[in-house]
Amino acid sequence: MADGGGWRPPRPCEVYRAEWKLCRSARHFLHHYYVHGERPACEQWRRDLASCREWEERRSAEAQRSLCESERARVQATRKHTLVWALRQSPPADWHLPLPQEEKDQ
Amino acid sequence: MKHSGCAVNRERHFSCEDCNGNVSGGFDASTSQIVLCQNNIRNQAHMNRVVTHELIHAFDHCRAHVNWFTDVRHLACSEVRAANLSGDCSLINEIFRLHFGLKQHHQTCVRDRAILSILAVRNISKEVAQKAVDEVFESCFNDHEPFGRIPHNKTYARYAHRDFQNRDRYYSNI
Repeated sequence: MADGGGWRPPRPCEVYRAEWKLCRSARHFLHHYYVHGERPACEQWRRDLASCREWEERRSAEAQRSLCESERARVQATRKHTLVWALRQSPPADWHLPLPQEEKDQ
Repeated sequence: MKHSGCAVNRERHFSCEDCNGNVSGGFDASTSQIVLCQNNIRNQAHMNRVVTHELIHAFDHCRAHVNWFTDVRHLACSEVRAANLSGDCSLINEIFRLHFGLKQHHQTCVRDRAILSILAVRNISKEVAQKAVDEVFESCFNDHEPFGRIPHNKTYARYAHRDFQNRDRYYSNI
């Protein structure tokens, strides 16, 4: 986290509002129930929106801390499962190579 | 794909062919090519879904060491992700297949379609395919790269793309 000068919320406040609105929509309820079998939890988006606005209006250190903690938790949640495969350091060497000649001739 | 170093060129990375059976498409890792079965793709919506499905395989091939031919768990993982993230298992598509279910049905569909996809390309038993899917499901179902979420429709896809464009600001401020 970049402290003090230069820090800004990880997402613009209008994005937090859009995510909260989407989360609370009937359509998202249906999608979430269909995938997870339970209702979605949208409260954290509302808290993040409030923190974002608090930062914009008052440059609140507590708002900054709260937002960072919330987003780090989101990132951690995406990384909690061990990957099945090893990630590459560079893309496959043959991705851009031309196709074998016999295939081109067909 | 471009960001991962695998910019996609339509002429090089796509091939429209006639296919056996009712297979809609495939990803050939040995040639880095997506095959679209022109005799089995029914309409534009189906085409969109098949292209998305195969691009997820291509994305996995680009970002990871996927042992497509020697590790059925790797194949299973990519098939789980493709079924999960392409729209294959949307409520509407399942209803059209006369598979009725609501609560958590998406996961049932993803498992079943991943198994079918594995059996279409590997000469193994259904039990072996099922075991592989079961072993990798928890990890691979929750891997939503590159979207960060399941893109149920254009709104979700738009939000996912917005997050991708915002990634530098995001990671430098958390």
